[in-house]
Amino acid sequence: MRQQYAWRSMLLNGFLAFVAALVVLQMVRIQASAEAEQFRKQANAFAGEYKTFYPERGEIYDRNGHLLAGNRTVYEVGVDLNTVRDPHSIAMALSVNLGKNYDEIYSDILNPPAGFSYLVLDNHASPEAVAYLKELKKELNESDNPTPSLIGLEFSPRLARSYPEDALASNVLGFVNLEGRGYFGIEEKYNDLLAGNPVQVWVPSDPNRAIEIPRIPNGTSLILTLNRDLQDAVEEILDQSLYEYGAQHGAIIVMNPQNGEIMAMASTPRMNLNNFQNYGVIYNNASEFNRATSMPYEPGSVMKIFTMSAALDTGLVTPDTTFLDTGEIQIGGVTIKNWDEKAWGLQNMVGCLQHSLNVCMTWLATQLGPQNFYGYMNRFGFGSLTGLDMAGEAAGRLKVPGDADWYPVDLGTNSFGQGVSATPLQIVTGASAIANQGRMVTPHVLYAMLRDGHQFNVPSQYAGSPIKAETAATLTGMLAVSLENEASAALVPGYRVAGKTGTAQIPTPYGFYDFSQTNASFIGWGPVDDPQFMIYVWIERPTTTIWGSETAAPVFSEVAQKTVILLNIPPDSVRLQTATR
Amino acid sequence: MDTINRFNHAYSQAPWRIQRQWISVFLLIVLGFAMIATLYLMVTSQAAIVGREIQDLRLEIINTGHTNADLQTELARLTSKNEMERQAFALGFRPVEPEEVEYLYVPGYVAPKGAVLAAAPELQPSTPNIPPEYTQSLLDWLGERLQTPGRGLR
Repeated sequence: MRQQYAWRSMLLNGFLAFVAALVVLQMVRIQASAEAEQFRKQANAFAGEYKTFYPERGEIYDRNGHLLAGNRTVYEVGVDLNTVRDPHSIAMALSVNLGKNYDEIYSDILNPPAGFSYLVLDNHASPEAVAYLKELKKELNESDNPTPSLIGLEFSPRLARSYPEDALASNVLGFVNLEGRGYFGIEEKYNDLLAGNPVQVWVPSDPNRAIEIPRIPNGTSLILTLNRDLQDAVEEILDQSLYEYGAQHGAIIVMNPQNGEIMAMASTPRMNLNNFQNYGVIYNNASEFNRATSMPYEPGSVMKIFTMSAALDTGLVTPDTTFLDTGEIQIGGVTIKNWDEKAWGLQNMVGCLQHSLNVCMTWLATQLGPQNFYGYMNRFGFGSLTGLDMAGEAAGRLKVPGDADWYPVDLGTNSFGQGVSATPLQIVTGASAIANQGRMVTPHVLYAMLRDGHQFNVPSQYAGSPIKAETAATLTGMLAVSLENEASAALVPGYRVAGKTGTAQIPTPYGFYDFSQTNASFIGWGPVDDPQFMIYVWIERPTTTIWGSETAAPVFSEVAQKTVILLNIPPDSVRLQTATR
Repeated sequence: MDTINRFNHAYSQAPWRIQRQWISVFLLIVLGFAMIATLYLMVTSQAAIVGREIQDLRLEIINTGHTNADLQTELARLTSKNEMERQAFALGFRPVEPEEVEYLYVPGYVAPKGAVLAAAPELQPSTPNIPPEYTQSLLDWLGERLQTPGRGLR
């Protein structure tokens, strides 16, 4: 009996073992089958994804810590093609709320590119619009009807650039496009620093395989040398003066001549950086974005300060050296005349500057000789970039002997600012040597960098000493006296300033000068005994009057009066009193 | 032989006892496997929960970063030049004229030069020059003394 049961038991065991073997065999077969590889691929596709983590773009502050460029959340709106149910409703919702083209979206969803399972429909949607769309999607999901439905519509937040001051300092800051790349100004120059380093990481979906994502440091934040309040005041004065003098455009720079810090830089036109898409409407070409750094022009008589500094530095003349002005001088077969075509008689060098005599300057240049004259112009940086830390700087043009288009008459015309082109920034840089005891500064807008919780201040740099300290002091005194002698509109009550006007005719494409239109300029600095600001004013094609002394000079005075208040620079009398205590 | 059989019979275990022992061993093994499986499930589920929490926290960090950036920009917008000027005018203020400014001499006052938004990096102290007497072990010192010619033990 026992044997009989044992046999049955063996039979049952054998059967179960056979079934188990079949199961194992089937498992092995499935694992090794062709379909298994496909399933594995499908599983791997959902096992995780490579994600690129973009660091938060660094912020930009003014010198007092006011935020000029920050970040804000925007949304990427896309559609998951595997789950989308109602393309019509999605296209309709996006056309109404995001202003998208209904037909384009509808067509894109119905005919996606091959192999795509996700389509980006908008990458810059506002949080408000997305909040409404999310609410709408939720409401439609809760309703019993299968359509309308926004299932498949997805939203991913990301940070985008935002400029809380809108158009303020737009010409210095530049902007960041939808792809996160900086254009113009600081945003372009320091794009790599601001943007930081994106990191690509494999992020598994399986929570058991959650890995530590490396810490991605934010982009470096920058503190600029700009003073927000001064920048605003300068922009306002520039706009007002363009209106008052019927001018087309203009630029103003305020720089500390002792260390090259740009405290304000205004240029027209400006644009609201939050609407950078309007760039093409506002500007015709890139050089218009910042006239102060990117648009060289013939500056006219402001160049006379460089001619005079060369003549003083070589010992050719002293302030008391006299020159008999006959109203014209011959050079290279061409007759050079004064701006009023009159003879001013016996003048000393202060008189030459005060009356802005072209004939006197041409005489100085001929006495210096081309080698000396152009040597000094090169040392002052004309024809070269200043090294400003902003994108898009132009070098201007200084023709020198040996160039195919240089003629002997250029020595004369260059001496009073014709036939040579320079940007306002180049002139300010060159003039810094005169204000700063012969030492020329490298202009810069970066004050400090913020990284990893530390502030790294950027030291000032000097770009050589084109003239001696004594020459600089002598010329500054001459320029101050010349302004005082003619009771210039550039004078600043309470402060002794030095400066020079410029009124330059504008060359036409045909090689002649347009006598009806001018570029009016003024370069000046103060207080003379301890210069703390240097201001350059360029008014392009003023129509109410063509003269720099009647347009750019009073603008200089206005800017200087704002500057001394905003920078807390006391009047000379107060300052000298406190210095003696 | 008969004695041996009797002896075996007397001391051999009853068949039902042997069966029970086998069943016990089997159940013990099953219990062991069950315990290991339970432990494995517990650890796995806890790891999954923690992993999911990590994923959620990571998302929260990103969202908090976005919120911070939004708030900072909004604050800057509320304190922007135009907004502050508008509020100042509304409160009856106006820009000061140059002749209205009065300067006072404050002994010892140094005007701030620029923004300080973070601490300056700490300077790395140079490596102190510590004499070997303070760092050498006795054996090092002994070895050096013995190996250096002309410098015997003192």
